[in-house]
Amino acid sequence: MKSPRRAVTAGALALGLAASLAACSAPAGDAADDQEYGSWEEVLEAADGQTVRLWMYGGDEQGNAYIDSELIPAAAEAGVTLERVPIADTPDALNRILSEVQAGETDGEVDLVWVNGNNFGTGKKAGAWECGWTEMLPNMELTDPADPLLQDDFGTPVDGCEAPWHKAQFTFAYNSETVTDVPSSMEELLEWARANPGRFTYPAPPDFTGSVFVRQVLYSVNGGYENVPLAFDQADFDEVTPALYEELTDLAPSLWREGATYPQDSNELNELFANGEVDFTMTYGPATLTELVANGTYPAGTKVVTFDEGTVGNASFLGLASTSGSKAGAMVVANIALSVEQQVAKALPDVWGQFTVLDLDQLSDEQRAEFDAVPSSPVVPAYDVLSENANPELASGWVSPIDEAWRQQVLAR
Amino acid sequence: MAMMVPYGQRVTPDDRTTGARGLMRPRPVDRTVRIVVAALLAVWFALPVVPLLLWMVADRWSFPAPLPTEWGFSGAASAVAQGAVPAFGRSLVLGLVVAAIATPLGAMAARALTKGSVPAPRLVSGILLAPLALPAFVAVMGLTVVLLRARVPGLVAVVLLLVAAAIPYTVYTMRVAYAAHDMAYEEEARTLGAGRRHVLWRVHLPLVAPGLARAAFLAFLVGWSDYVITVLVGGGTIITLPLLVAGSAAGVGNSAVVAVLSISAILPPLLLLLVLGRFGRRYPVSNLPGSGSPRSRSAKGFL
Repeated sequence: MKSPRRAVTAGALALGLAASLAACSAPAGDAADDQEYGSWEEVLEAADGQTVRLWMYGGDEQGNAYIDSELIPAAAEAGVTLERVPIADTPDALNRILSEVQAGETDGEVDLVWVNGNNFGTGKKAGAWECGWTEMLPNMELTDPADPLLQDDFGTPVDGCEAPWHKAQFTFAYNSETVTDVPSSMEELLEWARANPGRFTYPAPPDFTGSVFVRQVLYSVNGGYENVPLAFDQADFDEVTPALYEELTDLAPSLWREGATYPQDSNELNELFANGEVDFTMTYGPATLTELVANGTYPAGTKVVTFDEGTVGNASFLGLASTSGSKAGAMVVANIALSVEQQVAKALPDVWGQFTVLDLDQLSDEQRAEFDAVPSSPVVPAYDVLSENANPELASGWVSPIDEAWRQQVLAR
Repeated sequence: MAMMVPYGQRVTPDDRTTGARGLMRPRPVDRTVRIVVAALLAVWFALPVVPLLLWMVADRWSFPAPLPTEWGFSGAASAVAQGAVPAFGRSLVLGLVVAAIATPLGAMAARALTKGSVPAPRLVSGILLAPLALPAFVAVMGLTVVLLRARVPGLVAVVLLLVAAAIPYTVYTMRVAYAAHDMAYEEEARTLGAGRRHVLWRVHLPLVAPGLARAAFLAFLVGWSDYVITVLVGGGTIITLPLLVAGSAAGVGNSAVVAVLSISAILPPLLLLLVLGRFGRRYPVSNLPGSGSPRSRSAKGFL
């Protein structure tokens, strides 16, 4: 007799909980935030009391910690409740926004997204992003309006649809305990791979990192990025890519497992490097290297190699969803994220180690001194060293054809 | 087997073995084989958990060391810092809510189908099982828009979809339970003057309790382990344990955190399995009219 009655109570309790949870999720306060703001003061006023959800890849522990311990408290001071939504991959956020766009939602659940590259380009075409709002942010004045990394995101004009957040540089890291003859160019790296069979590999495109690697080789075999037009054109493609696939096909037998298989994503390559199965890894987010060495995931002898001809660089942004119901709050958060205080905090290697998007020449002496005081990482060189001769990214129109041809010609060789 | 025992005599385990002498009796070789196979299976299932357990208490574990090179609880600390505790609670509530709704629905559908009171039973059971055939992602992509248009709040929508995803399991499990269920007990109770409600609580539910426990467990698992529906339909309003696990597992150097999160994700289902298993078996059988066989039969079948 007792048990069934208890079960009923539990069931009723659970249903009650469901109902109360549902009640919590109903939009509190005013819904849609689609009005135009005449001044920053109006934005600040409207933002007060809003809740902003920032969707970002949850695999970066330092990134998560930076948001939780630095950005969320700073937003709270401005009266904005910031919540972090950890996702496995950025397209999850894009898919949600696109569903909301399709449904005509104006008080959506996604406000800000950590985004760049293809996800930004695809989203822009589909109307996922709110545009023309970044010029309102007071802290945009601290950036360089002529900075090419902030004007175009993989060839897609930014058009004020996303606020700059930090810069990244494609970086190769190696284990200095096993690699003694350190290559100083892409060409030398590929030579090194041939001289040390089985000790080098790269993630299979269309993995983001593997794809960048292939484009970097494309620049190299064509004698530098200057010789590859940034905007996509089939005739250019036919002219510049045969040398690329010839090179990669020729390289394959010298790779890890004779190139019969490739790491599926950058994570797999990182694991191979962490386990000492290969001697090189590569990343578009060198900020994480310091911590990965410090916590013993990567070998203590991990060092960064810089190439004479430079590597590709890009910037990450905060995109504002067109369906957001807390646009004023999201703008306030994006502005705070661009402040000297937050950019310095984020640059500290033991916080996150991300390179600033601010233009140091526009800062006051005091502000510049704050950046100068950022301790250098024992693993990652400073941004000005790393980004020397930085190569621009090809337009995103290049990416799919290059990846597809790689699959047909190199993988299926 | 009971048929072999003379009328009026109680069946005890000893009688059964005597009754089963000859062909039915397990030979010693079979037994050894069975024990070895069981042991191998246990190792097969337990082995992957061992590195996870070790990673939980490892601060540093560099290749090729066979054991962690530095012990500590930074993984747990980091998991807690990322909100593992409230996420655990939300997952628990979500799983329980899904089980609480999907189990009675599944039971009612299964009973109606078993009794034959449903027109076009094949079509109906086909529809009920359909969510199994459809990849969750495909269904979710389309349904999110519909649910958004209908202005269904995120959490309600998540529960709705998870219940739909759990129904095939509860219906299937309860159909098995009702197939072995003897309606005569209920009719007997009715003839003896018991009211409908009384029959439901005192006869029907106790008899199908093990099946209900099994169905509820499977429904709980659906709510407990979902990622896609929670993210896309919930729209980040509810951050559950699977979200944290998927997020952490997508990065390098998170092994300790992922281990802590995964192990804590295994625990509730494991505990429930044990508790429900006991509950399914332990109900005071002697209280029932004509105590016995259908109950113990289904109780033994518990997963």
